[in-house]
Amino acid sequence: MRMKAVVVVVGFALLVAGRSVVAHHAFSAEFDADKPVKLSGTVTKLEWTNPHAWIYVDVKDPSGKIANWGFELASPNGLMRLGWTRFSLRPGDEVTIEGTRAKNGSNNANAQVVMYTKTGQRLFAGSSQQGQ
Amino acid sequence: MPRFTGLLLAAAIAAAASTSLSAQWPLHPKPGVPKGPDGKVNLTAPTPRTSDGKPDLSGIWMRTTRAEQPGTAPAGQPPLATMGNIGAGLKEGPPYLPWAAELVKKRAGGLDNPDGLCLPQGPGQFHNDPQPSEIIQLPHKTLIVHESNYMMRTIHTDGRRLPKPGEPQPYWHGYSVGRWEGDVLVVETNNFRGVQGGQAGDGWLDSRGSPYTDALQMTERFRRANFGNLHVDVTINDPKAYARPFTVRMEKVVVADGSELIEFICHENQMFLKMTGRQ
Repeated sequence: MRMKAVVVVVGFALLVAGRSVVAHHAFSAEFDADKPVKLSGTVTKLEWTNPHAWIYVDVKDPSGKIANWGFELASPNGLMRLGWTRFSLRPGDEVTIEGTRAKNGSNNANAQVVMYTKTGQRLFAGSSQQGQ
Repeated sequence: MPRFTGLLLAAAIAAAASTSLSAQWPLHPKPGVPKGPDGKVNLTAPTPRTSDGKPDLSGIWMRTTRAEQPGTAPAGQPPLATMGNIGAGLKEGPPYLPWAAELVKKRAGGLDNPDGLCLPQGPGQFHNDPQPSEIIQLPHKTLIVHESNYMMRTIHTDGRRLPKPGEPQPYWHGYSVGRWEGDVLVVETNNFRGVQGGQAGDGWLDSRGSPYTDALQMTERFRRANFGNLHVDVTINDPKAYARPFTVRMEKVVVADGSELIEFICHENQMFLKMTGRQ
């Protein structure tokens, strides 16, 4: 139950619809829209929790040093309606994520695009940076 | 702000790949859902009714995807509100009193938005949240369960009157009584906590922080126009915060594919507090 056709379909739908799933809190209080990030690494954990799911990814910098990054997704109920499950990403999956960095400078970001690094297939383009 | 459109569109496209949705909770379509010749739900079929002939508002409802520019509401109907701004459809915006307008400015950024803090949403939020709500219409009361933050409102329809303001303990959702005027369920609510509640997150009508006070008397007129569409016209009458009462519309579309509300326990993992330095 890893990569399935629905993931591609949903990714396409979100690509068409723009980045929006379920907002819960004010995006601007937590993330800085002027600090885009694009990082690749290995999934260490998918936290399937409210009010937002989080993906954690080990990211290696050019010197070889590894840092664990957290990426906020939408809430599980919104993700479920898009066909996601709590098993859609598993530790060891190689992903590339585009998003917006946390205002507090920590290794956290709001994920707007999640794709498999090897194939470039998008899993997800939802975030809490959406209109209410 | 751009309105939410992704969920329904994506859900519709995802539904086409239904064999891949096996991991979701199973669908339990209710009997009696009207279908067209194409097998799809007929949203314009007649309004269902209860055994006593009243319109039956029961069902799961998702907010509309229709958007409206300020001042362009069709003739004879109130302007459309959004979750972000209850006065989004009003040409001049909500008629704030000066202190209320100042408070909205102070609330910019949304740090104290009760929704973001996992506290109950205000009326402009729960009627327009992108997560669905379920209306359960019973003989003497109607319950509205909002998936977001797992909130529940009780609307008493047993003939009781509104209590005097300030007599019962103020509630986040106030005290609601309903009566039928023809095919419209008219719900009046008072005894809200309002901005005097003491918490920064108190008294938010919408996500921009349009305030309400303990003087708010809200009137909601629920009309199920047909099987698939519900209109809720909401009048905000709060002389402590607004220069005059104003009325806006919330539109909802039925969810009749047999899906149900999904549990949403907001405080499982409140990273928002940590990342904004408050925990």
